[in-house]
Amino acid sequence: MDAPRADPLGDSALTLTFGETVDAATSARVHAAAQAVRAAGIAAVRDVVPAYAALSVFYDPLHTDYADIVAQVLALSVDGGSVASLDAGPLVEIPVRYDGPDLEDVARATGLSPREVMDLHAATEYRVYLLGFAPGFAYLGDLDPALHLPRRPSPRTRVPAGSVAIAGAQTAVYPLATPGGWHLLGSTAAAMWDVRRDPPALLAVGDRVRFVRG
Amino acid sequence: MIRIVASPPYLTVQDAGWGGLRASGMPVCGAMDGWALRIANLLAGNAMDDAVLEWALGPGVLRFTADCTVALAGAEVAGTLAGAPLAGYMAFRVHAGDELRIDRFVTGRFFYLAVSGGLRTAPVLGSRSTYLPGGFGGWHGRLLRTGDELPIGTAGPTPPSDGWMLPEGLRPSYPPSEPFRVVAGPQVGLFDAEALRAFEAAEFRVARASDRAGYRLEGPTIHPRSPASLPSEAACPGAVQVPGSGQPIVLMPDGPTVGGYPKIAVVASADLPRLAQRAPGEGVRFRMVTVAEAQAAYRRRAIDLHTVAETVRRAARHPRTGG
Repeated sequence: MDAPRADPLGDSALTLTFGETVDAATSARVHAAAQAVRAAGIAAVRDVVPAYAALSVFYDPLHTDYADIVAQVLALSVDGGSVASLDAGPLVEIPVRYDGPDLEDVARATGLSPREVMDLHAATEYRVYLLGFAPGFAYLGDLDPALHLPRRPSPRTRVPAGSVAIAGAQTAVYPLATPGGWHLLGSTAAAMWDVRRDPPALLAVGDRVRFVRG
Repeated sequence: MIRIVASPPYLTVQDAGWGGLRASGMPVCGAMDGWALRIANLLAGNAMDDAVLEWALGPGVLRFTADCTVALAGAEVAGTLAGAPLAGYMAFRVHAGDELRIDRFVTGRFFYLAVSGGLRTAPVLGSRSTYLPGGFGGWHGRLLRTGDELPIGTAGPTPPSDGWMLPEGLRPSYPPSEPFRVVAGPQVGLFDAEALRAFEAAEFRVARASDRAGYRLEGPTIHPRSPASLPSEAACPGAVQVPGSGQPIVLMPDGPTVGGYPKIAVVASADLPRLAQRAPGEGVRFRMVTVAEAQAAYRRRAIDLHTVAETVRRAARHPRTGG
């Protein structure tokens, strides 16, 4: 397997690029490299951020320079980066009520019944590819192709916290009330983000997720 | 305590923010001008990253309900403290009942008020910074309002004496026409030589739609060779993203942890506080430097802050007795 490409992300971070596509195999390599870098406990490392196809490592330039930290992180990524199984992460079940305001629209747009939309959404075991957009917002894939839809033409100014939504090949739960352009299928009482909890985010990259009707 | 007598349009509690939660989507947050944050704290006899007030956009009045030492840094403002004209980069001894009155901003966008002992609002996940979009941190996760009363800590043993001023050469400086140093971004290869020349030659202006999450720049449009769609990956404060419009956006401390726009460059950490002080309509130019140069500037800044800390400590131990 090719070694990832290393680039500086400013003066205090670097990004390793493992590929240009969103797929489970690339995500697994990124996740494994992230685990390896975290486990190594490098003193200069301040944060480790896995994404779809890239891993970023934030570091303190008072304690290392770019060449040194790249060499360390690359070595860890190549050793650890090809072995992770897709199913390595813990399974998290999220209770959902399919009571979202867009359920009927999604059914119409996909040519399915609302019941079929719910069944397809709940039938898949998802993988956490990325957290971002808002604290605790996890991008989950891969959504059943029958449910793939572009985002809504005009985003809502406020999507309630706990909304279960889909867009493109992904599904997610809105952790906080934010603007959002995804289609709202339902809602959950699960706290995706809780500042009194450690860690505050319910999900992490590499976790597996199932939506359970409740 | 500090009582907000008349709240300005923007006033929040900030410290150095959160650093280790990016993988859960939590932005770094914290003071927009981390340089001024640290200088204000040192002048008040605090640890560099203690919580302070971040103030922007307009006038307001605070009252101190206990004796303490206070210091201002960052944007230059006109106003009074206990009735006397304000000066930045000075340690003031205030007494219970004294008021700080800000009339207007002279230059810059954010100023910082540090109080000896620091603001002692309840920390969230290890920081006292306010994250307004999430509604947590700082003072109940919101802007401060008239009538709020903020707890302050116990002052350290040796705040500098009243009226002590930080020597000119140790103060943050915000020269308006100096370019901002940037390091080539992870997607710099998507831009051709002409686009990169245009990026470095451009005089951008900070757009009105600029906030704690990002500064939008207006000016010549910059485009990658072909429309780029990139699987989202980590971004950071200082990242210069180029969206489809071709008008760059510089991410700031509340900005998203990830993004799919190509990052043409990343502003040097040492220069980002200076960029934060550029107000809408003001000019911004960039100059590419190597990672090593940006890191050298980062280390110089750390040494400068150490020098300030030492200078303040000496001043506190050996106060001039006047005469």
